[in-house]
Amino acid sequence: MLQYQAQPLDLAFQALSDPGRRAMVERLSRGPASVSELAEPLPMTLSAVVQHLKILEEAGLVSSRKTGRVRTCTLEIAAMTKVESWIAERKRFWNQQYDQLETYLSENSQEESH
Amino acid sequence: MAVTNAMFTIERVLRASPARVFAAYATLEAKSAWFKAPSDIETLNRDLDFRVGGKERFHARWPGGLVTDFQATYHDIVENERIILVYDLFHNGDKLSVSLLTLELRAEGDKTRLIHTEQGSYLSGGDEAVKGREHGTTWHIDNLVALIEGRELKAFV
Repeated sequence: MLQYQAQPLDLAFQALSDPGRRAMVERLSRGPASVSELAEPLPMTLSAVVQHLKILEEAGLVSSRKTGRVRTCTLEIAAMTKVESWIAERKRFWNQQYDQLETYLSENSQEESH
Repeated sequence: MAVTNAMFTIERVLRASPARVFAAYATLEAKSAWFKAPSDIETLNRDLDFRVGGKERFHARWPGGLVTDFQATYHDIVENERIILVYDLFHNGDKLSVSLLTLELRAEGDKTRLIHTEQGSYLSGGDEAVKGREHGTTWHIDNLVALIEGRELKAFV
């Protein structure tokens, strides 16, 4: 039986917890882009974009290559395997449910009788 | 059809006693309050028979048209301690997975550590099983998953 290692995926999900980085991934899902193209629609400085890119690269979601003075970024999440995607989806589903469980428990804490 | 066996765990520390966490699983009324879809879905079937041998079903149609069906059978229940179930998940009638799910509740002071261990057989039935999830162009995490699965590769290859 395959014992799946979730760590790289946790890194990816951490990287995607930020809306700015999700916006960058969204842009890259339409095709490779230069750093300045990525930064253009975002309300953040170029150096902030570079920082975010570093996190996305460390998580294995994005790769970048420098040609002359232009750094081009490419989405790499297609490299993730099928099994990783299954586990990611299932973990995401259950984590969402447990978020809702936490909310439910906190809303009902006054009703506890034992 | 390929089968992949995989396992994962999720741990959560909840601000409630094991008895309260257990109670959140034990009735349809309590479970429906949190085990639910976050968006506007149409519930087609919803049942819970919380006893060993009993079944649970959550069958729903999502705004994009996808029909999901969670069908579980309870195999072991120890009040305030553990719940073991086996569930099948269907998308648009195709079985995606069969999973053994063990939930353990451990008291930690006035809190509870919830340990979710899932051992699953994931069935890849081709694109048909997941086509229903492709809807809209707005980016959200579901789209990311679709992208990871390679179904939207043509968008950027």
